[in-house]
Amino acid sequence: MPWSTTLIAIILVAIALTVLLAARPSLTITKAGKILAFLSLFIFPIMAGTMGVFEHIERSKSTEFCTSCHVMEDYGKSLRVDDFSSLPATHFQYNRVPRDRACYTCHTDYAMYGDFRSKLRGLKHVYVQYLGTVPQEVKLYTPYNNRECLHCHAGARGFEEGATHTAEEGRLQAIKSNQMSCMTSGCHDMSHNIKGLKDATFWPATAKQGDAGDTGGASDAGASNETGKEDR
Amino acid sequence: MAKTSMEKRLRIASVLVALGLLAELGSLLWSHPTAFIFFLIGGGLLIGIGVLFYLYSLVSTGEAAAQTEPEEVADNGN
Repeated sequence: MPWSTTLIAIILVAIALTVLLAARPSLTITKAGKILAFLSLFIFPIMAGTMGVFEHIERSKSTEFCTSCHVMEDYGKSLRVDDFSSLPATHFQYNRVPRDRACYTCHTDYAMYGDFRSKLRGLKHVYVQYLGTVPQEVKLYTPYNNRECLHCHAGARGFEEGATHTAEEGRLQAIKSNQMSCMTSGCHDMSHNIKGLKDATFWPATAKQGDAGDTGGASDAGASNETGKEDR
Repeated sequence: MAKTSMEKRLRIASVLVALGLLAELGSLLWSHPTAFIFFLIGGGLLIGIGVLFYLYSLVSTGEAAAQTEPEEVADNGN
């Protein structure tokens, strides 16, 4: 049974029991009634609350969730741009990242408490959305760390033996130690091109623009290297 | 009298918890960042207050029982 179904079932049972208690509080005179009250007013709510937090955190990792905010809509669209030079688009379209977790896969910190920090930043974004001023241009808090790229690419043959990565001695080490940025060194600097969306064509042509959450998962992962152009 | 107030507190706690659970259920049916805020502030707060109220009702009933006990003993002694 899926986690969310179990949670909803627990909540429904807890609601039924609390409604029963609210209607007949005299039930607690008996020992069984006291146990019922303890379960429905303490155990179930605490359980539902804890499971609910985990469920919401899990949901917040989905591409659909990230692009559900108006500010992020264009970033969702940029994943479907038909442009091989766009790093996010190729990662999304060629299944280099799971499509249903595309944003999270590249933008979480792969460090201790990275998830927690990401979620705190997410809460701050909600605060800014409703009570603050949304900036015209969305920027990263800190320069993009190679660690996030290396989480997947480190050890991959295409990365370790790539001609440009091994062109000179020490370059690979500089990349791995984040001394040479993957993004700003001029090699893979084509991130989300929001300004160019107006004139862009999208993949697939029939897909709804911005519906980046409508994902195919990793089911067609085998097709990801068809072009042979990739240098993972 | 103690039973009546206990029942009243239990009823209030039950209503608070039920409302909190409903808010939590509603937030789970909606996949949006606002849903999490609704879950935390709406659901979490109501459930938290409800649970605390329930625990308080248990403690206060215990205190009331402890206060009435010596009188009963004294009555029996007479």
